[in-house]
Amino acid sequence: MTEKKEYDVLVLGGGISGSESALNLAKQGFKVILVEKDLSLGGKMIHLSKVFPTLDCSACITTPKVSETARHPNIDIYTFSEVRDIEKLNSGDFQVTLVQKPRYVTEDCTGCQLCEDKCPVVVNDQYQWDLVGRKAIYVPFSIANPRIAAIDIENCSLCGACEKVCPANSIDFSQVEMQTPIVVKTVIIAIGFNLFDPTLIPRYGFGKYKNVVTSMQMERQLVPTRPFNNVLRPKDGKMPDNIAYVLCAGSRDETVGNPICSQVCCMYSTKQAQLLMGALPMADVTVYYLHIRAFGKGFCEFYQQAKGMGVEFIKGKIGLITEKENGNLLLRYEDIESGNIKEAEHDLVVL
Amino acid sequence: MKQKIGVYICQCGSNISDYVNVEEVAAQAEKIEGVALAKTTMFACADSTQKEIEEDIKSRQLDAIVVASCSPKLHLFTFRNVAIRAGLNPFNYVQVNVREQCSWAHSNNPKQATEKAIHLVIAGIERVKHSKALPAIKISADNAVLVVGAGVSGMRAAIELAKMGTEVVLIEKNHFVGGRVSQWNKLFITDETGQEVVARLYQEVKNHNKIKLFTGTELISKSGGVGNFDIQIQFTPRYVLTTCKPDWEKIQKAISLCPIEVDDDFNFGLTKRKAIYKNFPSELPHIPAIDIVNCNKCGECVKVCEEVDLEQQVEKLNFRVGAILLTTGADSYEPKKGEFAYQEIDNVITLQQFKRLIEISGKELLYHGKKIRNIAFIYCVGSRQQDGENKYCSRYCCTSVIHSAILVKEKYEGIFNFHFTRGVRTYGKQEILYNKAAKQGDIFLQSFEDSPTEVTSENGKTIVKINDILTANMEIEVEADLVVLVTGMVPRENTAISSLLKIPIGRDKFYNEVHPKLRPVETVIDGILIAGTCQSPKTIMESVNSALSAAAKANSLLRTGEIELEPTLAVIDKETCDWCDACAAVCPYDAIEKSEVNGKFVAQIAKANCKGCGMCLPVCPVNAIQLDGYTDVEMEGMISALVS
Ligand SMILES: Cc1cc2nc3c(=O)[nH]c(=O)nc-3n(C[C@H](O)[C@H](O)[C@H](O)COP(=O)(O)OP(=O)(O)OC[C@H]3O[C@@H](n4cnc5c(N)ncnc54)[C@H](O)[C@@H]3O)c2cc1C
Ligand SMILES: Cc1cc2nc3c(=O)[nH]c(=O)nc-3n(C[C@H](O)[C@H](O)[C@H](O)COP(=O)(O)OP(=O)(O)OC[C@H]3O[C@@H](n4cnc5c(N)ncnc54)[C@H](O)[C@@H]3O)c2cc1C
Ligand code: SF4
Ligand code: SF4
Repeated sequence: MTEKKEYDVLVLGGGISGSESALNLAKQGFKVILVEKDLSLGGKMIHLSKVFPTLDCSACITTPKVSETARHPNIDIYTFSEVRDIEKLNSGDFQVTLVQKPRYVTEDCTGCQLCEDKCPVVVNDQYQWDLVGRKAIYVPFSIANPRIAAIDIENCSLCGACEKVCPANSIDFSQVEMQTPIVVKTVIIAIGFNLFDPTLIPRYGFGKYKNVVTSMQMERQLVPTRPFNNVLRPKDGKMPDNIAYVLCAGSRDETVGNPICSQVCCMYSTKQAQLLMGALPMADVTVYYLHIRAFGKGFCEFYQQAKGMGVEFIKGKIGLITEKENGNLLLRYEDIESGNIKEAEHDLVVL
Repeated sequence: MKQKIGVYICQCGSNISDYVNVEEVAAQAEKIEGVALAKTTMFACADSTQKEIEEDIKSRQLDAIVVASCSPKLHLFTFRNVAIRAGLNPFNYVQVNVREQCSWAHSNNPKQATEKAIHLVIAGIERVKHSKALPAIKISADNAVLVVGAGVSGMRAAIELAKMGTEVVLIEKNHFVGGRVSQWNKLFITDETGQEVVARLYQEVKNHNKIKLFTGTELISKSGGVGNFDIQIQFTPRYVLTTCKPDWEKIQKAISLCPIEVDDDFNFGLTKRKAIYKNFPSELPHIPAIDIVNCNKCGECVKVCEEVDLEQQVEKLNFRVGAILLTTGADSYEPKKGEFAYQEIDNVITLQQFKRLIEISGKELLYHGKKIRNIAFIYCVGSRQQDGENKYCSRYCCTSVIHSAILVKEKYEGIFNFHFTRGVRTYGKQEILYNKAAKQGDIFLQSFEDSPTEVTSENGKTIVKINDILTANMEIEVEADLVVLVTGMVPRENTAISSLLKIPIGRDKFYNEVHPKLRPVETVIDGILIAGTCQSPKTIMESVNSALSAAAKANSLLRTGEIELEPTLAVIDKETCDWCDACAAVCPYDAIEKSEVNGKFVAQIAKANCKGCGMCLPVCPVNAIQLDGYTDVEMEGMISALVS
């Protein structure tokens, strides 16, 4: 490919920020190219359950944005793509190399998922944050955009089962990486964030104790498209009834190199606690915090609402988590209000 | 009547299907005459389903569709667009809400939720059967915006709009620009001064020929709607000529000769100022103003400075703009007398006073002549009230007070800071300042929610007392030379403009947006936008972010010079109408006019003004008015289905 493409704006990242920027620019009449590294648009938000403080269903408010973006005539979208070598030209424009990675499935795919049934390879599903498995050929998730399958070539056994079953003949193992030069006037970087890797705090036992999960894993258990039809403990599939939240895991902590506050976790924990009270009416939820950062419009009221629903908030930093034989977890913490070191038992811990 | 209707029942993941038996709803819908197909779907709004509906419309030649899903507030336009793409008129589509109205409302009774859903869906089908294809209505729009308030938000938005080619009328009530920010010297997080920030913005505003800035000016009337607001503004004169470059020596002299002294609002009453004044030397515009309410017209200033003109008159100007952006800011909370001993003990002041005090003090930090060493900061005054009205957190104040505590220590020696907090909320990168304050030796304490910090006076000493969470409920007392009440933000008293524009007010009494996540700078009134602290407490960065977003929204609304309106308007049957004036009298949008047709007077609808609210329908004595999209046959069809 040598044809040179020109755009007014390159937007990097197709999360809610990238989509919103692309759409606004497109509506103002600018030509936009949106480049998303992942297989689908939507970023983190499309995977969330409900959003604080309005408790709107997240998928329901993200998908229309995403499909409006995908449809806008002024926006060209490249998913599963990245850019390399951004270079400023003398004209002030930027020369960029667009890299499209092969999906090994063409756009003819209808998203019927027949191939998934036949594929013999099972690996962890990254879109369910490893809670369940997926096949080596897979439609990323039910509301993915574009809803086209992709082959995870690293795990694929090249058995060809999918090729035989695909009614649209869209499997194409001959695809290769494509590079296209493009010229843009402006670049918007909206590549979002990564979640902190909790194995960097070994004291919390993530990865070792199965009933210690991340907030994203809990988020996935609370969405309509959740992997199980209920909130379950990963270790034994039991319904938890005494859940603990450990706040500031990886934030406000110089020992892991991150002194700043992530400013969303207090609120999403408060939100998840409220949703858990709905999903598991008998369960107790305790939030261990340093300070509750309920600062935005409607946030403080939302926090008070959680307290009113019976969520317990304990000011204290968790020092150590250990596992009992039955999979329950012992949390050792400094209870700041009493000044004592205490220990509490919970059957599921969310970091 | 429509003969080939497509019906889609959404499961909404499981939001709907957990409680509503969607298969049953589809089966019942399919039985209705005129229904060509009825399907269920996991997510009706998903791209793949949208494509499927389009395909169905084309291949099965559907002449109308019904989608039973969530509230039309969310997806009305999503499915209208599906219809348009498939070549169907968008008004041959009806959305039925079976989520908020059925599954969520009746989660305790799935059977009845299902029954209700069936009724609502059939009613939707009956309505769509009688639906008319309505043509799009387009009106011309002026690519011009009125921005109200020249604080950081207003100025930033004005500059951005002008750069995008939109004409801007920027009005500021005060005689000087900058809003609150000009009152704070060094700002978190950059340590720039407020004056620097304001001066930079002001220069850009002045340099742009698309921006007309009027100070001392307010909006006094408005008519029309989005695309074409006719506005009138009024300016109070500053009584000093703005045309010539002022001679500063003469002006200084005039100020010193002025015999009037009043409390200086700018310094929150810490100092006095004259009736002819400038709040600080570099304030902009670089011309003093006369506070005519307090001026006694003695003429002393005129004697030394011919640029003073006490004869200037109030003036008015008219403009037409396509949209209005409100950036009218917020006020600081004013503590009640006795609240933490405010106005009872002399050395209890507010954070905003403290900020001015640091700035105007010289070599030593003195308050009423007394040297300050121990400072007690009491947090959340006027915010996070459990019993009071202000339930919200003001979000800027933890960081602002910590930043001020750092500044005061940098400027003066021997200061000890004690922070009486309710849990510090230095979110995001502001956390760095909290760490810095702790490292410089500031003491942080935290009160229990049910036992607030107390301020008392004992033998002429001011004592601040707390039961402290951080030391496991120790009772701690500090003798303070100065008590600083960390006051939050409250909505500005701005009733004139709020009622003129009918701006929606939220529970917290700040201006309210349509949706905090998806439409954070628009209001429910088309063409009226909000940004900055008039919406909720914000830092400068957050205020400016919202200002930029509002500028982009306004520009994208107006730049094509055309706006599409909802065609669901009132329609007059000219045969039946006998012009009695009843409808015109109730129309809240002045959309009904008297006109003459074939020698007979009848009512006529001004399309640009009609909002389709339907107020005129029931008052017409001869039933000559119908509302497109909600005609009698459609409504009657629905009602019969619901009661059957
Ligand atoms: C557990 C959890 C719960 C939350 N709950 C809420 C809530 O209830 N309410 C709320 O308001 N907020 C919530 N949030 C915050 C919310 O998720 C974020 O504010 C939001 O996702 C930010 O969107 P974004 O587009 O900036 O980033 P992201 O969602 O991270 O999207 C960035 C996109 O850029 C892509 N990308 C990355 N690198 C590149 C590259 N080099 N080239 C091209 N593309 C790239 C990524 O693949 C991704 O699609 C929550 C966050 C978490 C972690
Ligand atoms: C004590 C204190 C310290 C602060 N320190 C910092 C800091 O260090 N860093 C930081 O980031 N933020 C700080 N803030 C927050 C900052 O002040 C606000 O974010 C900022 O002022 C918001 O700007 P604005 O333009 O929205 O509103 P404002 O600054 O309030 O400006 C609004 C303007 O609109 C005008 N106006 C009002 N009504 C009308 C009307 N009807 N017609 C015409 N004009 C009208 C007003 O006169 C005013 O000029 C502080 C706030 C306080 C209270
Ligand atoms: S204080 Fe709250 S918002 Fe900040 S990092 Fe900790 S958990 Fe997250
Ligand atoms: S920002 Fe801090 S001081 Fe201000 S109201 Fe919130 S918690 Fe209280």
